[in-house]
Amino acid sequence: MEVLYDRLGRQAFGLAYRILGDGPSAEDVVQEAFLTLWRQAERVDSTRGKLSSFVLTLVHHKAIDALRAKRGQLARQISSELEQIERVGADVSERVLQSASRDEVRAALAAVPDDQRRTIEMAYYAGLTHVQIAEALELPLGTVKSRLRLGLEKMRAALKTGFGDELRRS
Amino acid sequence: MNCEEVEELIGAYALGALPAEALSEIGEHLVTCEKHPEAADLGAVASSLAFAAPDAEPSPTLKTRLMKAIEAEAARPPAAPGRAGWLGRLRGMVRQPALPYALAGALAIAVAALIATNLPDSGDEREFVTFAGAGDIRGRLDLRGDDIVVMEISGLDPLDEDQTYQLWGIGADEAESLGLLGTAPEGKALGAVRADSSEIDALAVSIEPAGGSVAPTSEPVLQALLPDR
Repeated sequence: MEVLYDRLGRQAFGLAYRILGDGPSAEDVVQEAFLTLWRQAERVDSTRGKLSSFVLTLVHHKAIDALRAKRGQLARQISSELEQIERVGADVSERVLQSASRDEVRAALAAVPDDQRRTIEMAYYAGLTHVQIAEALELPLGTVKSRLRLGLEKMRAALKTGFGDELRRS
Repeated sequence: MNCEEVEELIGAYALGALPAEALSEIGEHLVTCEKHPEAADLGAVASSLAFAAPDAEPSPTLKTRLMKAIEAEAARPPAAPGRAGWLGRLRGMVRQPALPYALAGALAIAVAALIATNLPDSGDEREFVTFAGAGDIRGRLDLRGDDIVVMEISGLDPLDEDQTYQLWGIGADEAESLGLLGTAPEGKALGAVRADSSEIDALAVSIEPAGGSVAPTSEPVLQALLPDR
């Protein structure tokens, strides 16, 4: 676990800090994520994806949980990503996560138009629902739905270009 | 929810930016509808956002705290009733399918395990399994030939909003989440999941924190061995 922490600790803390915005809370989340990983080690299927994907997904879930708890919201929907990974797109998800470098993901996100990127970041890093995003930005709900989808599609196109044939075959 | 509504919300779904009920409805739709091939891709793209955050340096004490916490947990005696206990017991039952009733009684599992009865449907390849859990909990599984498992449960205790019922498929080596069943506000839950039932020996339902868990964290309220297939 110490080796894993040395390898992924800064990345995990960076993600938690990006979501929570304060160091002590982010550290609590990272500690809890690594403890969970240690407790559940026998159930982590290493054949299903990179360990870093698993760790970061876990950190994201716990950080969004903590964020919603801070806001006094019910934390019900944060497993959706895990559900997606497990139930809908497990194979593709893991191929993408394994194939894409961090620079490629950042470049793909940066290539998304500002208004779409903003809604995506509010959803993923702030744990807001589409209704909350629409309220915060004072936009029609339909506009937010479109921006979320179009933004992800632009990212997908950029990542596919980056991956070349590998993803197209998937 | 119909296909048009799902398409409209597919981006928000991929990012988890919907209320739990909508996430659950869309998830159920996607496992039974093949008209949304982009859903998996968009989910993958959303997942990749975890890699986009910049690294940051935690305080040096974090590693120390983490290692101490792990040492403290490692030093505890392997106690046992809990997750590993019931999973182990259930796996034990799976490995000895000839003795399920006897084992269920002898093991004194917290909930009644199986009074599973096969009720073959006429005509097609569907197979039904009925079972009972603690108290008034009753359930029925519809094992369809196309790997769709539909589970209907009644008699559940409604949960608070910070909890959810979660369905698990128990294979030879692990418990895999098959999805969330919600809070059962009226004591009922219905789940439809795509599962390769030939690789699942048993199903279990446990109460988990809202949003679900990576692995079961509580004793199941309901469990059932699947018939030999």
